[in-house]
Amino acid sequence: MERLRQDDPARIGDLVTLARLDADGSRGVPERRYLARSADGAHTVLACLPPPGGDPARWAAEAQQAARLTQPGFWPVGGLGGTPAFPWWAAPYRPVLPLPAVLAAHGGPLPEPVVRMLGGTLAEALASAHVLGIVHGGVCPAGVLLTVRGPLLSCFGATRANPVVGASATGESVLETGCLAPELAAGGAAVDRAGDVYALGAVLAYAATGHTVPERQEIPAGLRDVITACRSRDPQGRPEPARVLAELVPGAAYGALTGAAEPVSLPGRVVEALSRQSAEVLAAALPTQGS
Amino acid sequence: MISPLLHDDPHTVGPFRILARLGGGGMGTVYLGRSAAGRTVAVKTLHTRLAGDTTLRTRFRLETDAARVMGAVHGAAVVDADPQAPTPWLATEYVLGPPLDTAVEAGGPLPEPAVRALGAALAAGLEQLHRSEVVHRDLKPSNILVTAQGPRIIDFGIARAFGDEHLTNVGSAVGTPAFMSPEQAAGLEHAAAGDVFALAGVLIFAATGTGPFGGGAPTDLLYRVRFGEPDLGRVPESLRELLARCLAKDPAHRPSTGELHGALGGAAAAPGDRGGFAVLLPDAVLREIARRSDEVWREPPPRLAPPVPTEAPRADAAPAAGVSRRRLLAVAGGALLGGGVLGGAGWALFSGPSDNGGGGTKKDAVDRPKPPSALWSAGLWCPESGGEVMPVGRNLAMRAGIVLCGINAESGQSTWQANIADVWRSATDGTRLYALRDYQEDAAALAVCEVSQTDGQLGKPLAELAAFTGKEQYNQLLCVAGGTAYLVARAASGGRWYLVAADLGTGKERWRSPVDAPQSKGFPAALYGGVVGSRVVLCAYPASDTKFLRLSAYDKGSGKQAWAVSETFAGAPPTRLVADEHNLYLAADTLTARRLSDGGLEWLFGNGRDGEGSGGDQRRYGAPTLQDGVVYSVREDQGLLAVDALSGTLNWQEQGLSGRKSKRDVAPAVGKRYAYCVDDKGVRAVDLKSRKAVWTYASEPVVLTADAQGGRLYVRQEKRTLALPLA
Repeated sequence: MERLRQDDPARIGDLVTLARLDADGSRGVPERRYLARSADGAHTVLACLPPPGGDPARWAAEAQQAARLTQPGFWPVGGLGGTPAFPWWAAPYRPVLPLPAVLAAHGGPLPEPVVRMLGGTLAEALASAHVLGIVHGGVCPAGVLLTVRGPLLSCFGATRANPVVGASATGESVLETGCLAPELAAGGAAVDRAGDVYALGAVLAYAATGHTVPERQEIPAGLRDVITACRSRDPQGRPEPARVLAELVPGAAYGALTGAAEPVSLPGRVVEALSRQSAEVLAAALPTQGS
Repeated sequence: MISPLLHDDPHTVGPFRILARLGGGGMGTVYLGRSAAGRTVAVKTLHTRLAGDTTLRTRFRLETDAARVMGAVHGAAVVDADPQAPTPWLATEYVLGPPLDTAVEAGGPLPEPAVRALGAALAAGLEQLHRSEVVHRDLKPSNILVTAQGPRIIDFGIARAFGDEHLTNVGSAVGTPAFMSPEQAAGLEHAAAGDVFALAGVLIFAATGTGPFGGGAPTDLLYRVRFGEPDLGRVPESLRELLARCLAKDPAHRPSTGELHGALGGAAAAPGDRGGFAVLLPDAVLREIARRSDEVWREPPPRLAPPVPTEAPRADAAPAAGVSRRRLLAVAGGALLGGGVLGGAGWALFSGPSDNGGGGTKKDAVDRPKPPSALWSAGLWCPESGGEVMPVGRNLAMRAGIVLCGINAESGQSTWQANIADVWRSATDGTRLYALRDYQEDAAALAVCEVSQTDGQLGKPLAELAAFTGKEQYNQLLCVAGGTAYLVARAASGGRWYLVAADLGTGKERWRSPVDAPQSKGFPAALYGGVVGSRVVLCAYPASDTKFLRLSAYDKGSGKQAWAVSETFAGAPPTRLVADEHNLYLAADTLTARRLSDGGLEWLFGNGRDGEGSGGDQRRYGAPTLQDGVVYSVREDQGLLAVDALSGTLNWQEQGLSGRKSKRDVAPAVGKRYAYCVDDKGVRAVDLKSRKAVWTYASEPVVLTADAQGGRLYVRQEKRTLALPLA
C-alpha cells in the first residue's frame, strides 16, 4: 500500500480513499489509481481517475467502452461514476501490483520463466481481443496489473484518450514513450493491432531488462528474437499475438493462461509484496469521522 | 480455509460482522469478520455452552493475554477481545499463510536455509513469550502459519502462566503426542525447555516431513517420546547435533531459545530485506500463500440453510443432463485434494447448475450443499454378506450375485468375472486377488491361486498344501498379508480343522493351529479373520441360536494361540475386523475395545449411558468403523458418535438429527470432511467439523466402502452399486 499524498482526493464519490496503488513518483502511469472503501466498510475497491491534465471526457469514453467488455485477460472495469468533469470507475479489490512495482519488489528484471508466463498471458489476452476487432490501445508496464493468478491488462484505450499531437511529443506525455509504436509516436495514426503488439514487446522488454527500450544484447538470449520482432519498426513485420504466445509458451493450451484458476509461480519477493499488500488492506481501517 | 457459515452461526460477534467460517473445534469456532471501518479479522469464539466453565473461560483469557504478548511479528496481532462476554471472543489479524503441515504437504520438506530461517524466527518468538513467563505447551506444525514474512505462532489454547498448575490435571495429555516433550508426556511440568523440545520436533518435521518420533498410535508415540531415540537420519547434517541437543530427555540439557536462535543463524538466517524469508520457500508454498492472500477478497460463500435434508436425487439417477463426465471427474479430483481445498471448492460445485434433483427450486435448497452426483451407477447385485468393495490395485473387485467381478473404478464397467460362488474362498491384499482352488476339481490338495485380473481365471497354485483336503467347500481364505495367506482348512486325514499360515513365496505351510469345525450348516468356520500387528485374529461364526461370538488371537510368527474369549453380540454379526495395533473394536449393546495383547477389556463405552440398558440382547451401537484413532458408530436414533479409540471417551456426537432410523448393521465410512452413515432415507453425510448432517443421498445401502486413495465412496445396494466422490 502506498501512502496518500496531500493532493490526492479524500473521497471518490461515496468511496473513501485508503491508499495509492502506484508508488509516489511513478512515471508512465496513464491513470490515477487508488485503493478505496465504501463508507460502511463493506466493500474495498480499486478506483481509477483520469490522469492529471488528461481529457476527462475522452478518458470516460474509453472507460465506458472497457466496462462493456468481458475480455479474458483484461482488468474488469466495474461500475462508472462521477460527473463529466470528474469521472471515475471502481472494481472489487484484489491483491494487485503494477508491473513496475513487481520489478521493484523483485529487485530488478524478472527471471525468464516469469517473463514468459507474463508475456504469454498478455499475448493470449490480446489475441482474444484482436479476433473480435478490439484493440487495447493502452498496453504499457503500468497498465499490466499482476494478480496471484497472473497479469491483467488495464488502462484500456490510454493512447486513444491521450493522443500524441504532432511529432513533437515531449516528456510530458502520460504514456511510457517506449510503448508507442513509431507510427503512433509520429502522431496522426490511430492505434491498431500492430500497435498493441509493439507495446507488448516493450512490456516484455521492460519485464526482462527493466526498461522498455533495451539494447538487443541486454535481452536474455531466449527472448531476444520474439521481443525484437514485436518491436519491429515496420508494423507489417510484427508477429500476431497468437504467434508471440506460441513462442513464449510452446504448446500452451489456448485460453489456459488467461483463465488460470490456480495461483501462478512467482518469485518469492513478488509473492511477499502481493501478500503484504493484501494484509495491509485487510488491516486498514477507514479514518474515523472528524479526523 | 474459508468456508460458508452454518445457519446457526452468529451474524455479529462483538463489533464485527461475520462473513465466513475459518475453522471450528470442540471448544469454539473461528470466523472471518469485518469491522464497521472495513478491517478484516479472524474472530475466535468460545462456545456459549462452554463459557460457563470457569476453567475454560480462564484459559480463553490466558490465550488472549498470550496472543498479546506474542504480538504482530511472531504471532497474530490482537485487534480486540472480550473474554468476559457471554460468548467470549478474540479478534486478531487474519494471517495470510498455510499452517506448516499444509505447507510441507504442498511443497515437500523445506530446504535447509528455510528450516534455519523458520527455526530462528520461531525461537525468537518463543523467547519473547518466555520472557513474559508464558509457555506455549502446544507448539506443533498446525499451530504455525507460514507467511511470506516469516512464521507466526498461533493457538495458545493451552498456553498458561508458569506455575498456574490448577489448569492442567496431571496426566491429562492435552498436547499433541508427536510434538510433546517427554515431561509433558509423563504428565509433569512442561516449562520453557519443553517448548524448545517441541520446536526441535517442528523443525525436524519441516526438514523431513515427519516428526522425530514418527507417527502411529498416540500411546506408542507417547512411549517413544519418553524413552525412544529421535530419528534424525534425514535431517541435514549441519542441524543434526543442535536439534539432538534440543531433544534431550532432561530439560536441563536443552539449549535456551536465545542460544537456539543464535545457533540457527539469528536474524541473518534469512536475507535481511522484506522478501528475504519468502525467497527461501518452495514454489508450492508461495502459491499457497498467494492463494490465501487473494481468496480472502472474494465474495464470501452464502450462509448455509438448516440441515434438514430433503429432495435428494433418486439413487439411480443418471448424471444430470448438461453435466459432462469431465466435470464429474473434476469433482472427484477435487475430493482428492483433501478437506482444505474442497472446503472452498465443495460448496461452489455442489451449488452449481448440476442440481436437477427435482424440487430444487426451493430457496433454501439453493444454499445448502447438495449430495454429489454419482460418478457411476452399475447394476451389480450385492450378496447378503461379503459385499464389501475391495480395491485391487487401481481397480475394484466385488461380489455380484454368485460371481466375483472385476470392476473398472473409473466407469463402473465389469472387466472380468470369476466363478467363485462362496464369498469365503477369495481375498485380496490390496494389489492382487487370491482364491482357493475350486473344491469340485479333481486335485486332492488345498491350493491358493492368484485370480487373473484380465479374465478372472485362477492361475497356477502359489501354495499347495497336501496336508489339507482341497475338496472341502467350507475351506476358507481369510486374508493375505505380507506374502502369507491365512486359511481355515480341514486336514486331509482325521477331519480336524486348523488355522493355517501358508507362505505364498515358498509355497509351504508355515504353521497351523487347531480351531473349531464350522458350527452352522451352510456357513464356514469364521466370520472373518485378519492380521493386525503381531496377531492373527479370528472371529468364529456363531452357532445358530446363540448370541456369543468366539474371538481368538494367534501369534503371527508361530501360530500359538494367545487368547480366546466369548463376546455377546446383537443384530447382524460383524463381518470385518476393526482393529488397530492395540485393540479390537466391537459394537452391540455397548462399544468395546479388547486388547490384542491379552484379550482383556481395554474399555467399554455406553454402559448405562442415558440410563438405559437392554441386557445385551439389543443392538444399540451400530457396526463400527475405525479411522485415524477414532471409532465411529451409529447409536440408535441419535446418529453418529465419535469415540476416541485409545481412551474410549466420547469425542463428539452428531447434532440436530431427528426423524431418521439408523441402519446400524451398516458400518459408517469416513472421509476427510464427512462421515457417511446409513439410515432409512439413504446415505447421510455428517460434517466432521460441524457434527451435523449436510446432505442425504436417497438410496438403500447394504454396504458402504470408503476408498481414500481413489477418492470414492462406494454404496452397495441390493441391486445397484454407486460410486460417489469421497470428501
